[in-house]
Amino acid sequence: MPPLLEVKDLTVRFYTQEGVVTAVDNLSYRIERGEKFGVVGESGAGKSVTALSVLRLIESPGQIESGEILFKGQNLLELSESEIRSIRGNEIAMVFQDAQTALNPVYTVGEQIAEAIEHHMGYSEAEARDRTIQLLDRVGIPEAETRFSDYPHEFSGGMQQRAIIAMALSCDPDLIIADEPTTALDVTIETQILDELRELAESFDTAIQLITHDLGVIAEVCDRVMVMYAGKPVEVAPVEELYYNPKHPYTVGLMSSIPRVGSESDRLQTIPGTMPDLIELPSGCSFHPRCPFAEESCTRSEPPLTDVDSGRQATLDTPHAAACIEYTEGLAEGLTYAVEIDDSGGDIGAIDAADGTAAATSERDGDD
Amino acid sequence: MRRIYESDALYRDDDEAHAPKERKRQTTLQSFRHVPSAALSDAFLPQRLRRRCISVDVRSPNSTYRVGEPIPFRVTLRNRAPIAVTIPTASPVLWEWSVDGNVEASAVPLRDPPDEPGRFHFGRGERKEFQKRWDQRFRVERHEWEPAEPGTYTIAAGINVAGGAQTRLRAETTVEIVR
Ligand SMILES: Nc1ncnc2c1ncn2[C@@H]1O[C@H](COP(=O)(O)OP(=O)(O)O)[C@@H](O)[C@H]1O
Ligand SMILES: [Mg+2]
Repeated sequence: MPPLLEVKDLTVRFYTQEGVVTAVDNLSYRIERGEKFGVVGESGAGKSVTALSVLRLIESPGQIESGEILFKGQNLLELSESEIRSIRGNEIAMVFQDAQTALNPVYTVGEQIAEAIEHHMGYSEAEARDRTIQLLDRVGIPEAETRFSDYPHEFSGGMQQRAIIAMALSCDPDLIIADEPTTALDVTIETQILDELRELAESFDTAIQLITHDLGVIAEVCDRVMVMYAGKPVEVAPVEELYYNPKHPYTVGLMSSIPRVGSESDRLQTIPGTMPDLIELPSGCSFHPRCPFAEESCTRSEPPLTDVDSGRQATLDTPHAAACIEYTEGLAEGLTYAVEIDDSGGDIGAIDAADGTAAATSERDGDD
Repeated sequence: MRRIYESDALYRDDDEAHAPKERKRQTTLQSFRHVPSAALSDAFLPQRLRRRCISVDVRSPNSTYRVGEPIPFRVTLRNRAPIAVTIPTASPVLWEWSVDGNVEASAVPLRDPPDEPGRFHFGRGERKEFQKRWDQRFRVERHEWEPAEPGTYTIAAGINVAGGAQTRLRAETTVEIVR
């Protein structure tokens, strides 16, 4: 049986008057059936454009320039408009970050979901209504039967997000792509909704591609993670591996910016600088200007995603891969950072304390 | 940074349950802004005259730079005409910069733009300015770069005019890299 989703060498560009933006650069990844796959990286890394490309939702001036998007072995880039429309929702559904994108303000929440069910699943009006109410109830909307007739704006932010999840589940897809589904919510509601998303995916046997800028969110939900920087993956690993044994300096930087308890907004800013403009990337490794370990060689060659154990070029089967010269030619000074495991719980809020938590600090020994 | 969810590059359909929904206000503003001005220039100006309205300039603050020092330069495109002008381009790449003829300082082709024309639109009297930087490196292979040796280099910028060589819509400047 072919894997659920295989994205191969995907390149997406925007042709703007400022220049050509390479938002996704030769990106490959795979999601297995039922898998919970995380995609993490700072704003501007190309996470949303990747996700929207899978569903063929990018339009001019954006262009999917090359690559393949194989869903159950079928290349979605070769489907007709009407074929892709029936994949959307039925097979792959998207949970958008906000209600303005996901819901039509002029119809009630219930009507919209019921309509989708009627249309995609061939249910009668009454059956669709029943299933919608059940779904609203399942995603934790109290008094689902009355709330069926509310308009999106009558829902709180958290309720809107639950309704959007209900919409995504409505046609029983095999893959849900959730793009920052809880970014707009406060932390307690965020945790509840993530828990529910994970549980629902498990009981519906649905795979998830969860996109976030927050590694703590990944830890709550995912089995495997891809860390993205400047349109490319810089590290791919099972979630525990990524936490306990991060291999790319950018991942280490992201870990140190996990928020601490009680200080939502006060993220430790340990990666200096910002994501480069994707019109003009630095030479060599795109991360080199911000990397505490960068050496001259990092400015001259762009490291491929490499199997961190064997040093060979990674494939989609490589369990743990990172794109850093350290794993090919090697850095003269090496990578030296310490991962502190804090089992006392509560020090780092966004991660489940029972799993143990990892905080990473990068420190460079020696000179400079 | 442009945001995909706020842009026009996202497919939207209010009637498709699982597609992004229209943004209500912006769409009307957009159509007001673009259509009439583009139509005006296309109706009245022949190609050759359209090109004459546009000037291109490229300059760098200094004429010499030390080895390894990034070289900033500014590309200015200006429409001198009192009406809007649209220049047809060979591809969706509207303009390009190069160092000694290497587009974006790369000796290897970087991309394969769609095989379709583009349109570079200028409002009346509009001036577009782009700040760029050459880090003194040439891309010699897809994943390899080499630093430029000391010497003189020509930085050029030009509109990617349909139909090829078009000296008017191009400008250049030279810089020297010294030890
Ligand atoms: N409509 C657009 N026009 C030009 N560039 C865009 C557009 N939409 C997104 N981009 C660019 O694509 C890159 C990736 O964006 P995105 O996928 O939204 O990042 P993320 O979701 O990781 O924050 C960014 O550099 C962004 O500026
Ligand atoms: Mg995004």
